Amino acid sequence: MRNNSSSKGRPGPFRQPLSQKIRWSVRLKTYALAHLHSLQGSFLRIWETPIASSLTILVVAIALALPASFHALIQNARLPIEALQTTSHISLFLKPEITNEAARRLTEKLGGFPLILGTQILTKEDGLRELIAYSGFADALSALHGNPLPAVILVRPRMTDAAAVTLLLDELRRLSEADHVQFDDEWLKKLRAILAIAERCIVAFSILLGFGVVFIVGNTIRLELQSRLEEIAVNKMLGATDHFIRRPFIHSGFWYAFLGALMAWLVANLLILGIQSPANELAELYGSPYRLAYLDLRGTALLMGSAIVLGIVGAFIVVNHFLKDLEPL
Amino acid sequence: MIEFDNVSKRYPDSGEALSEVSFSLQRGELAFLTGHSGAGKTTLLRLIAALERPSRGDILLDGISIKGLRKRQIPYLRRKLGLIFQDYRLLNHLSVFDNVALPLEIMGHHPDDITRRVRAALDKVGLLKKEKRLPLALSGGEQQRVGIARAIVHKPPLILADEPTGNLDPDLAEEIMRMFRDFNDVGVTLLIASHDQQLVQRFSRRTLRLDHGKLTEGGFNDA
Repeated sequence: MRNNSSSKGRPGPFRQPLSQKIRWSVRLKTYALAHLHSLQGSFLRIWETPIASSLTILVVAIALALPASFHALIQNARLPIEALQTTSHISLFLKPEITNEAARRLTEKLGGFPLILGTQILTKEDGLRELIAYSGFADALSALHGNPLPAVILVRPRMTDAAAVTLLLDELRRLSEADHVQFDDEWLKKLRAILAIAERCIVAFSILLGFGVVFIVGNTIRLELQSRLEEIAVNKMLGATDHFIRRPFIHSGFWYAFLGALMAWLVANLLILGIQSPANELAELYGSPYRLAYLDLRGTALLMGSAIVLGIVGAFIVVNHFLKDLEPL
Repeated sequence: MIEFDNVSKRYPDSGEALSEVSFSLQRGELAFLTGHSGAGKTTLLRLIAALERPSRGDILLDGISIKGLRKRQIPYLRRKLGLIFQDYRLLNHLSVFDNVALPLEIMGHHPDDITRRVRAALDKVGLLKKEKRLPLALSGGEQQRVGIARAIVHKPPLILADEPTGNLDPDLAEEIMRMFRDFNDVGVTLLIASHDQQLVQRFSRRTLRLDHGKLTEGGFNDA
């Protein structure tokens, strides 16, 4: 009585592989087709529930637009600051006894230094003329006997990073003709530090809002899961794997994030468009050719990529949790 | 093919639904599972499909223990079953065609292949002309036939039917039973739960009787 059906010779059907002799190229094509179909289906579901979906997309967009806009603004602030850096120079004050002639020779010699991009001499007379012209002490200065000012060589460093500049400063200080070397970049350093803080804040902000995106997408997917509980249960009873159940919801997560990111990109660039004309006016007042730039390719890719990853992660977490609750189904 | 070895199932709130059930079903058999409502028929079928896990004992399918199956193997077990429900469990937002196509889509068949097989299954249950309809636009008997088409479309070796005629009038019930007998004639194993004594007796096949979770007839003792 207790004999197994396998005693009939061939193994029972539960011991046999699923009777599918499908070539794996066909299988791959079918799989890709199913993905495409699901991607399309998820988009249509979003399209068919415009109000509920656009709410989610809008919230995702706002969460992403904030860091994206700040990032774009900081990028824009960084450019003119770096431009300022390249126009800055080192003032090499020579000892008072150095003659203009000796100063000229030194200027030429320094011009050949590898760390130096260019040099310009300000003779003692140049210095005095400038002082008279700009200081307003013309009368007092003309009362002086002789010229108390030293010759100055303006040195433009080739590389403007801190290490290279420090190296150059040391080299200049060692010159026997040098009296005092000055590189006025303190304010630039401060500005950079402020920018660095702002950037850090944006990173922290982005992480926080990134969590927001995960939660928003996750919550929307959770509602979707609940409304499709019967469909999921039937699919599971018919032998659907978790992967199969998950697929359309992962695609929904993708769409919410992608559409939200697209909108955020638009918002960030509209913001720049909005402040473009006053900013350009300001640049013109300074005689700068600098113009406000839109979110660059790297920023756009970062925005899109991270949004999509966050959306998919949000969907994944929620669906897995849901499926765990459904067990043993 | 199916072997129950001292299987008990206890639910936390409603107590023991099955107690120490042992029987085996051979390949190619058609057996009825009867008993009053609440006797444990549904639970027994759900255990075979691994929709529930037994509290004690084990179920063997071709000698493979369901208890020993890993979670990710269970979908592949279910793909070898055809499940039929009293309340049909059709997806009402999908057309008849799409409902029947579901098992094949889950198994990853090619669309062309799906179309061919779905049409064949619908033809077998006589609903080929209604493939574009939504389930709720059909009568109860037609909906059950859609459910049957969905259960046979992937040609499973074992069909489990839970009160398949429960909501149908006697003529329709008879018709569906004859359909099951035809499947059995081509080698499909069937286990059909039904409380309709007259119908079961008319077909005079092996009958497993459950009473308050205990197997009182058709098990090892009197088979």
